[in-house]
Amino acid sequence: MTYVLLAGGLLMVSVILAAVVARAAGRGTVRWGAVAAAAGVLVGLTVVFDNLMIRLDLFTYAPHLISGLRVGAAPVEDLAYPLALVVVLPPLWALLTRSGGVPVGDLLRHAFLVSRPVSWINTAFPFASAVVLTTHEVDWLLVVGTFYYLVPYNLAMYGINDVFDHASDVKNPRKGGVEGALLPPRFHRPLLWLVVASNVPFLLVLLVAGSPAARAAVVVSSAAVVAYSIPGLRFKERPVIDSMTSSTHFVSPAVVGLALAGARFDGGVLVILTSFFLWGMAAHAFGAVQDILPDREAGIASIATVLGARRTVRTALGLWTAAGVLVLAAPWPAPLAALVAVPYLANCAPWYGVSDRTAAGTNRAWRRFIWLNYGCGFLVTLLMIAAW
Amino acid sequence: MSGPWYLVCLLAGILCMLLLDRRFRLFFWRAPAAAVLVTLAGTGLLLLADAAGIASGVFLRGPATIASGVVLAPGLPLEEPVFLLFLVLCVMVTYTGSVRVLAAWRGRRGR
Repeated sequence: MTYVLLAGGLLMVSVILAAVVARAAGRGTVRWGAVAAAAGVLVGLTVVFDNLMIRLDLFTYAPHLISGLRVGAAPVEDLAYPLALVVVLPPLWALLTRSGGVPVGDLLRHAFLVSRPVSWINTAFPFASAVVLTTHEVDWLLVVGTFYYLVPYNLAMYGINDVFDHASDVKNPRKGGVEGALLPPRFHRPLLWLVVASNVPFLLVLLVAGSPAARAAVVVSSAAVVAYSIPGLRFKERPVIDSMTSSTHFVSPAVVGLALAGARFDGGVLVILTSFFLWGMAAHAFGAVQDILPDREAGIASIATVLGARRTVRTALGLWTAAGVLVLAAPWPAPLAALVAVPYLANCAPWYGVSDRTAAGTNRAWRRFIWLNYGCGFLVTLLMIAAW
Repeated sequence: MSGPWYLVCLLAGILCMLLLDRRFRLFFWRAPAAAVLVTLAGTGLLLLADAAGIASGVFLRGPATIASGVVLAPGLPLEEPVFLLFLVLCVMVTYTGSVRVLAAWRGRRGR
């Protein structure tokens, strides 16, 4: 790609974004006269300081990739940078500060709560450990990917979920309290835009940086996030597919990490990933049991409303057992991770004979999960260090 | 004259922009949360352009002795995101300042 193409592309993307955002901000909110004045000032400053920076040898350009048109020493393409910003940022600023819009500070506070900070680690850790165990080094892709699976990915997963579950969540006394944040409807649209804006750039980087296998993993991962709760697909309301999709949310970051790092998907890796997947399905299925009655009242289907409380709990116990047994087949020291299944089984076993009527009581075990995950995550980390 | 002088200049530039911002309540001192989002968006957009330029071999690092030499990713020196941050602040202070100046002119002419 030549610099002309890059600069032209940047300007085109900026103009399109600016048009869309300016429309959303409303007529008269962007002061285009001030934009023109600022553009003039910035072009002047850029010409002066770009020449200075180039003469100080801070950076150069591949001579065969630039147009050769220069202002002094500066390639004319460099002007695309300030021009892109002065076109795209004033509309964004107008949109975010317009009167009558939602206060951005409140939006960010809601977004923080909606993204479930307690659970951030559940998706960032599988990604980061998969990359580090493969490459044995810290590079920019590890940092960028870990940040993505720490924050924006969770904002997308839980944000889309909370927006489209709002109607049924209102009817569930458990939500809106400690375990789920009810998002006021006026924040729904801005939050979805925040999800798009915070996810798309990272996904572009991951897609471009990866092999075809890594790209496929990224696409599957993002599709699972969207399909889980978006109207029309609503995988969360399709029994069994709901547990599989939920598990994909946590396993796919590890698969993306392995593929990006160029790991070989041999038998041992596949066994560990499958075991992790079964573990994730069990966790989802068991978690759905506590909501059986409110879900049925709201007309929502889940693995638990279809199988019933008792059979769902037993399925979860079976899946955890299978996960523990399966990992015994992985190369040493992974079989030690089979022990991690034990506390989950012990936590869930008292509800072996639960009925739909008493299903809500499983919430006590569910709340212990968050801390079990941290403890068991710690044990698994020790194993990974041992395997290093 | 070797040393991380480029970085020092950029940080000084950022400081100056923030002082202007504070004095005239233009950007962070007017709507902090919105300013944070605008800053992240602008810096992110240009970092993507940088990544494309580095990956396609257009941008090359120079042999400057005033650079810190710290590299964040292949072809991306520590100073680059700091420069982009500075550029975003400069653009927004210039724009919001222009809005103020043009309004003042119009007000004077109207009287």
